Amino acid sequence: MLSVKNIVKQYASHRALDDVSLEVEKGTIFGLLGPNGAGKTSLIRIITQITAPDSGEVLINGQRLNSDHISQIGYLPEERGLYKKMEIGEQVLYLSKLKGLSTAEATKRIKFWFEKLEMKDWWSKKVEDLSKGMQQKVQFVATVLHQPELIILDEPFSGFDPVNADIIKNEILELNKQGATFIFSTHRMESVEELCDQIALINRSKKILDGSVDEIKATYRNNTYWIEYEGDYNVKSVNDLFDVLQTENVKGKKLIKIQLHANKTVNEVLSNLLPLISISKLDEVIPTMNEIFIDKVKRQDYE
Amino acid sequence: MNKVLLIIQREYLSRVKKKSFIIMTFLTPLLIAGIYGLIGYFTYKGIKDTHDKVAVVSINKTLTDRLKSDDNIDYLYVDQPLNDIKKSLKKTDFDYVLYLPEFSLKDPKGIELFGEKQAGLSLNSKISRDIEELIRNQKLKESGIAQSDLDQLKTSVNIDTKKITSETGKEETSSAGASTIIAFVAGILMFMFIMLYGVQVMRGVIEEKTSRIIEVIISSVKPFQLMMGKIIGIALVGLTQFILWIVLTFTITTIATTVLMDKTDIKKITTSAQANQIKAGADIATQAQGPMVDIQKSLAGLDISKIVFVFIFFFLGGYLFYSALYAAIGSAVDSETETQQFMMPVMMPLLLGYALSLSVVTNDPYGNVAFWLSMIPFTSPIAMVVRMPYGVPNWELALSMGILIVGFIGTVWIASRIYRVGILMYGKKTTFKEMFKWFTYKA
Repeated sequence: MLSVKNIVKQYASHRALDDVSLEVEKGTIFGLLGPNGAGKTSLIRIITQITAPDSGEVLINGQRLNSDHISQIGYLPEERGLYKKMEIGEQVLYLSKLKGLSTAEATKRIKFWFEKLEMKDWWSKKVEDLSKGMQQKVQFVATVLHQPELIILDEPFSGFDPVNADIIKNEILELNKQGATFIFSTHRMESVEELCDQIALINRSKKILDGSVDEIKATYRNNTYWIEYEGDYNVKSVNDLFDVLQTENVKGKKLIKIQLHANKTVNEVLSNLLPLISISKLDEVIPTMNEIFIDKVKRQDYE
Repeated sequence: MNKVLLIIQREYLSRVKKKSFIIMTFLTPLLIAGIYGLIGYFTYKGIKDTHDKVAVVSINKTLTDRLKSDDNIDYLYVDQPLNDIKKSLKKTDFDYVLYLPEFSLKDPKGIELFGEKQAGLSLNSKISRDIEELIRNQKLKESGIAQSDLDQLKTSVNIDTKKITSETGKEETSSAGASTIIAFVAGILMFMFIMLYGVQVMRGVIEEKTSRIIEVIISSVKPFQLMMGKIIGIALVGLTQFILWIVLTFTITTIATTVLMDKTDIKKITTSAQANQIKAGADIATQAQGPMVDIQKSLAGLDISKIVFVFIFFFLGGYLFYSALYAAIGSAVDSETETQQFMMPVMMPLLLGYALSLSVVTNDPYGNVAFWLSMIPFTSPIAMVVRMPYGVPNWELALSMGILIVGFIGTVWIASRIYRVGILMYGKKTTFKEMFKWFTYKA
């Protein structure tokens, strides 16, 4: 659907994007991650044709980015606002007409969305009369109203209360099911794990990691497990199987965190331990995206 | 193109629907009509007030002529002794008593003016001028000049300026006075228009930035389209308001004059105005009939529809050009407080063009200065209008119009470029140095 190829963007004194390439497949939810100032917004502004790259190219469905693509992209910027003195309904109508909808079609869809998101009586309200969360809802509707193939959301959940965040999340999933491709830009990892299929991690203008969330997590697994048990075992007898990284005692239950040695399996460990102790729980330690993110960013900063 | 229309529509409707617009549109004509009414009232009152009745008590035998009454003063020679009339002044309808004693023409002394009120400076000098004239005429007569010669002493000269077009040898009437007045009016109108609505363009641009809606907008339209739509939309708002003001002011004034003033008052004002003209006309024939005659005369020599077209073209063109400059300022800054440093450099060329047009161009309408002023888009809207009545070759006119159009589109392009770069730098103070840097790198 979208391929970004070797994009370079230089501002007066600093390089915002340095040879960044990405592939976003159709129908996926793609997470564009990175700390503040990494270059996420610069990349999005290139995809939305607000600025142009110094070198490299962006293809949508194999075509070089051009003005026909404007109507196929929906963009909710991080710095978002609405005309203060204009009625909400008029405003959304204007924005969707700029994207190429006819008045009749746009009106129909606005009514549909306003109904759906419980905003029915907002048509003639002014922005000044709405809370920040309510404004965000309006902006979201304006972003998706023209049924774009590609929807780019920059920090979509900042400013939403949990209830509305949930409503929006469900709408995103539903639109995704209907075939829309999403790009999320965020530095908050919790939302990524729930929603994203694919991610790319950008730090200091460079892409340092990309792939599917599951794959990335898998590569970050390092054979570490938590075991909850009762009883005692001889440490020496299992020395060749695993190392104990941590021991804990929580409410009378003993916990150990172990890391398997190379070529050893969980089954081997269990068969060795079961005669000695009674195991009530075994969990694999899978790093969260947040941990991977911090680990990766720190490592790059260190280098 | 469709998007530009959408933007024009939004800019226009969102402004025209505003309460402040509606209030201003209806309030301003009322104010203008009110001021007009006040001026009318005071003129009327003024005519009545300055008309002083002066009783002249003369025991002077030297002066054979009498003081002549005019619009401002009625001189009435009375035979009563001075003391009597001084005492009974209150009962009579005289405002002042003028006493002319016997004096020698070389050294007139003892002239006195009595009144209930202290006579004002203008009345005092008016009366002394009248007496001086009387004395001068007396002296001239005594030195042997006949009265009939005296009457013919005053001559007035008025030159009709005519231009000979080289091809046909035809004579065309032109007038410096007319073009000066056209330039003056055009200048004032343009100033008002630019100050009122050019600033609105700037505000609109800034508003989009402060309300953070630009990123959404310019991911849908090009900054150039946005700027163009904004400028044209606001220009239409301005024209709407202007036309409404003219129509409403005219209506209100007409209604007010017919309803509020009774007919005799109107008659008085018009007759006194006519009397003024007749009086003045006797002195200096054509000149005082008002510049309208000049304008009509010089317009008759020219193609009126051409002049009107040129005037409208340069008026709108100049407005659009300066609006684009304001849009550029709006693009460069984040808040209105920062606009001050950029306002002056933008207004300067207009002021300069205005001043030069009224001085240099009217003195030498075919000179180098006039030519260049009417070519440079900063000054051409005024300079060209000033030059029009003197006759401007068609190629110059076409060139100047072309430059203005290119200048306008170019400025919009520059503004949109600044705009594009400007949004990438929220909250950063703008300096001229910074702006220059923006041009030099790719957006």
